Amino acid sequence: MPDQTTVSAVKCAACGTLDAGPRDVCPKCYARQMQAVELPGSGKLVSWTMIRRPPAAFREDGAYAVAVVLLDSGLQVTGRMSQPGEQVKPGVRVHAGAKLRDTIVFDVEA
Amino acid sequence: MRDVVITGIGSTTFAQHKARSIQSLAVEAASAAIERAGIDRSEIGALYLGNFIAGPLLGQEVLAGMIGDELGLTGIPCTKVEGACASGGIAFRHAVMAVASGSCNAAIVVGAEKMAHASGAAVTSALNCAMDNRSDGPSGLTFPGLFGLAWRVHAERYGTTRDDVSAVVMKNKENGLKNPLAQMGAMLTLDEIRHSAPIADPIQLYDCCPVSDGAAALVVVAADRARNASDLPIRVRAAVQSSGPARLAGHADLCNFKTTRLAAERAYSAAGITAADIDLAEIHDCFSMAEIIHCEDLGLVPRGEGAKWAAEGRTRVGGSMPINASGGLLSKGHPVGATGVGQLYEVVMQLRGKHPNQVKNARLGMTQNVGGAGVACTVSILERTDA
Repeated sequence: MPDQTTVSAVKCAACGTLDAGPRDVCPKCYARQMQAVELPGSGKLVSWTMIRRPPAAFREDGAYAVAVVLLDSGLQVTGRMSQPGEQVKPGVRVHAGAKLRDTIVFDVEA
Repeated sequence: MRDVVITGIGSTTFAQHKARSIQSLAVEAASAAIERAGIDRSEIGALYLGNFIAGPLLGQEVLAGMIGDELGLTGIPCTKVEGACASGGIAFRHAVMAVASGSCNAAIVVGAEKMAHASGAAVTSALNCAMDNRSDGPSGLTFPGLFGLAWRVHAERYGTTRDDVSAVVMKNKENGLKNPLAQMGAMLTLDEIRHSAPIADPIQLYDCCPVSDGAAALVVVAADRARNASDLPIRVRAAVQSSGPARLAGHADLCNFKTTRLAAERAYSAAGITAADIDLAEIHDCFSMAEIIHCEDLGLVPRGEGAKWAAEGRTRVGGSMPINASGGLLSKGHPVGATGVGQLYEVVMQLRGKHPNQVKNARLGMTQNVGGAGVACTVSILERTDA
């Protein structure tokens, strides 16, 4: 398998609700027992864009692709994408390949 | 709740006002509104200021009180409200509520922003305060990027092309040529748009609103106190606000903002009308793709057809559903905190029959103002009631 990593999320210890977080109160049962969990990083690409005018904090990154991914666990998250190109269409399979600072870099599966 | 009308209105041009202070811009717009409000200054019981990023870009807060003081509105509650790009619309709603509830007989809404002095990266960073910076922010997402993401979904689902989206750009840029308040009206060709600089694929330069300075203001008055107004009072039929996830990925569908749908449903219900009754709309086209998504969410245009309707001329002045006759944010400009108030200014002018790009026989007009990635939305419906 290629490099893989997990995606950090939160889960309610009272009712089991998963959420992308961060969040201290469960959005379903309102219990204050959200716990950190690591989820498998496989999912489906919802969309991607190429950021060519980054904010000041990311200027050193040059142009980079940002993606929204629907994980197999049902959570939707924002991250980077490693191999942008016009052939990469919404719906393709992706997985979390690596962590970059506080975000995830998703790889398109061959 | 009492009926509320808008009497006095005022606006600066939306432009690069590099030599002027934000206070001076706000006071220019507000003074014009007060002078034509038909009430004495002492009857204004509250000031609401829409402003987003005077903190990061100017190092200045407490602007509501400073502007109230310059206007001679000393001692009344002066409140800044912040909801990113929806700050102006939210300020308006609060002023309407203050008058409708009987808390005061008149209130002034001011929207103001000053951005053009700062570098592009500083402006992008300041605007990113409107993001959830625990989740979306660390990815390096920007607001053009957000609508680049939405575009690709719209294209995949509905077959929307670059040239379809360009129809929105061409319409709004052309409308701006007729509006003396607008920052950059233009006649553009499909080819010029196709070849403009890439910003956040597929978003290109002409898909983005400019960086602007400006201010707008309105005086809202209890309907039974508006007898001495200089111009035709315009009735507020709805001024509603909704909230949604700050996180882009928190939206189940990137082409369908629940925040807007909620606000629209509440506004139609409050006014007792449907989307088909609206004669014109000023909606939040910070990017070309934003107009497309928002007009669909508001029910003004069928789902998936926002770009197609623009290409067919239906959303032009003279079409069946004129959208952004002012030029919209794309052309008029987007001094963030002033934008929502500026939209209402434009609709009041239309309903009075005095707009430089007039929609014929306009009686019911709508504004929609969105903040962040859909974390806040206001929808207002105004009516001409004399005819």
